[in-house]
Amino acid sequence: MTAAIELEGITLRYSERRVIDGLSLTVAPGEVLALLGPSGSGKTSVLRIILGFATPQTGTVRLSGEVASQAGRLVVLPEERGLAVVFQDLALWPHLSVAGNLAFGLKSRGATPREREARIQSTLGRVGLAGKERSHPGQLSGGERQRVAIARALVRDPRAVLLDEPLSNLDVGLKRELLSVFRDLLKERRTTALYVTHDLREAAALGDRIAVMEQGRIVQEGTLESLRANPSSGFVRTLLDDFASAS
Amino acid sequence: MAEAVGRSLRRALLRREQMLVLAAAGAIVLLASALPLARLLTEIPAAGAAALGVLSTLRPWLLLIRSLVLAAAVTGCAVAIGVPLGLLIARTDLPARRALWMLHAFPMFLPPFLLALGWFQFLGREGFLGSQATARLLFSEVGLVVVLALAFSPVVTSMIALALLGMDASFEEAARVTARPWRVATRILLPAARPALALAAIVVFALSVSELGVPMFFRVDVFPAAVFARLGGIQYAPGEAFALVVPLIPIALGLLFLERRLVGAGSFAVAGLRGMSRAPIPLSGWRAALAAASWSVAFAGALPLAALALRAARGGGFGKLPQWIGQAPWTSLGTAVVAATVIAAVGLVLGHGAARRLRGALTLDALAVLAFVTPASVLGVGLIAVWNRPATSALYASVAILVIGYIARYAVVGIRAVASVVLQSAVHLEEAAAAAGARFWRRLVRIILPVNLRGIAAAWLLAVVFCLRDFETAVLYYPPGREPLPVRIFTLEANGPPPVVAALAVAQVLMTALVLAAGVLLVPRRRPE
Repeated sequence: MTAAIELEGITLRYSERRVIDGLSLTVAPGEVLALLGPSGSGKTSVLRIILGFATPQTGTVRLSGEVASQAGRLVVLPEERGLAVVFQDLALWPHLSVAGNLAFGLKSRGATPREREARIQSTLGRVGLAGKERSHPGQLSGGERQRVAIARALVRDPRAVLLDEPLSNLDVGLKRELLSVFRDLLKERRTTALYVTHDLREAAALGDRIAVMEQGRIVQEGTLESLRANPSSGFVRTLLDDFASAS
Repeated sequence: MAEAVGRSLRRALLRREQMLVLAAAGAIVLLASALPLARLLTEIPAAGAAALGVLSTLRPWLLLIRSLVLAAAVTGCAVAIGVPLGLLIARTDLPARRALWMLHAFPMFLPPFLLALGWFQFLGREGFLGSQATARLLFSEVGLVVVLALAFSPVVTSMIALALLGMDASFEEAARVTARPWRVATRILLPAARPALALAAIVVFALSVSELGVPMFFRVDVFPAAVFARLGGIQYAPGEAFALVVPLIPIALGLLFLERRLVGAGSFAVAGLRGMSRAPIPLSGWRAALAAASWSVAFAGALPLAALALRAARGGGFGKLPQWIGQAPWTSLGTAVVAATVIAAVGLVLGHGAARRLRGALTLDALAVLAFVTPASVLGVGLIAVWNRPATSALYASVAILVIGYIARYAVVGIRAVASVVLQSAVHLEEAAAAAGARFWRRLVRIILPVNLRGIAAAWLLAVVFCLRDFETAVLYYPPGREPLPVRIFTLEANGPPPVVAALAVAQVLMTALVLAAGVLLVPRRRPE
């Protein structure tokens, strides 16, 4: 089966600093891959390469088998990749209402007004924000904004959703609640997703598989059980110890 | 077949949408700013040996040295006034800081020769407080430096204040835990505002070198006046005017080099007013004395405006205004609004591009800076060389030439102001739109413009005011019978009735104040985050 996202031999340098070092990675259709690593390990750079906001010096990015970036060349522009993103700061457009935020991507795709309306209503209903269509991001609570961000990402039925530590600034209770919302939404829609995090609990709660990154490389890849069975580095062991004590 | 070619052409154009939009905005800057400068380089050799011979005499070089020395003196005085005042306004508990800032800054938005005219009403031989001695002082290099320093010091004050207000509060708070306020101000705040200070000094020096109205009014011989004299009047010799701009070109390039070297990326410094709500540094026992000194400087800047109003009122100037003012205010306003709209549009594209470090945008920004720091007489002569020819005579003889000239000189205002506000908005807002499938034009119109609307509106307002105050560029090529108000005031000043000239000056002041007030009211309110 063709991978939804495939990275092969990716290297990214800023000046002399190597941020990504020969990284290869695949995400199968409908799979949720958690990309786990400490700060500065290059997780966000991987996400930006997949989105097309950074171009790797070497290697190939394929989306559903189609070459999107290749060795210093942006083959498919970010707006043509059919992806969706949820950033850490959510990046909700403050001048647009909740409905406007969701409609923006649908209009880009050429959806009719009726189709837009139907999709917005059903998606907002699904994330528990029915009746909030006319609110602006500044009028919503932190949890509601998170829901708008995930709704905006999913409303277009994207090829894949990339999430860059969207829950890192939330308290434990809200984080747990939203993790459950994210997991249910991704699973029921069979959405391919790459979830970037530094928290093993989030990775374990959402990811079908976990890929551990250190210093620009994938050092271990597999399920939580396989990581437990054979931790490949001190970093992974520390994460597992923390996870065990928190559990 | 044709359909397939059309489809692939459309696709190719869409893929290059961002580049095409940048190219369109760049073309405006190139046409308005770069073409006149490039044209000069080809016109100068064509001016002929006789014209170029003017540079073999000592007089132009002495004039040039005098202009540079005077500009340096003005810059030094403006920095000496502006730095402490900027610090006091931005970061201390000085009483009524905002009102002080507004009063001090307002003269910056007026043609400086209006202030000279006002000082003349006060200290001229027949002025309200005048005598032979005060008149002699005023009509000298000292008078010139003081008047220009008071006119331009708000540039330094405002840039320093904005830089300090935009600074991360934690810099200051971390220092205040361990040091006294004076040490925090001198060792942390002011050094951190160094790029803003360098930029302010360069701007003041460039404005001072360009200044034509004040030296001519005070009968102080300076270099731009020599160029101006050869474009009209008894010394008419356009070839020599081309020759005389030659020494000014390396000065402009030198200023551009300094701007790139000393300011660099700091020129897009994030500025804002967030710091106004931060706990100010207490002045304690110095508060009253520093308040008195600061307000004295602000009143000294505004005093000539009161003198103009008084002269106009006493002499019945306001009553005669309708007979003398003609179309000038409408020409000023119309051309300023059109030019500022183009400047804001160009600024939106290139300012965004410069803030996001897009290829080409930084080069175009440098060109716009060059056009601004180039002495106005050089740019003016270049504009004449480009547009005063049979093929473009209709355009040259209309107000369109004023619009082109304003865009040429003040495009940088839009680019820098927009770059500064774009840097304050998260790049993720644009990236989320791109990931949602929006191409560049849609992102520009639906995301970048509305998210930064407040700052872009402020850039437009600033550009309008800069165009309204322009005198030294427009005076070289204004179309007959369609002069902007500053030019009309200056031309009438020599032989018009003084109360009427004073009333015209007050009209310019009121027009600027109304535009600023309307702009402040119309600039959209900040949206809750």
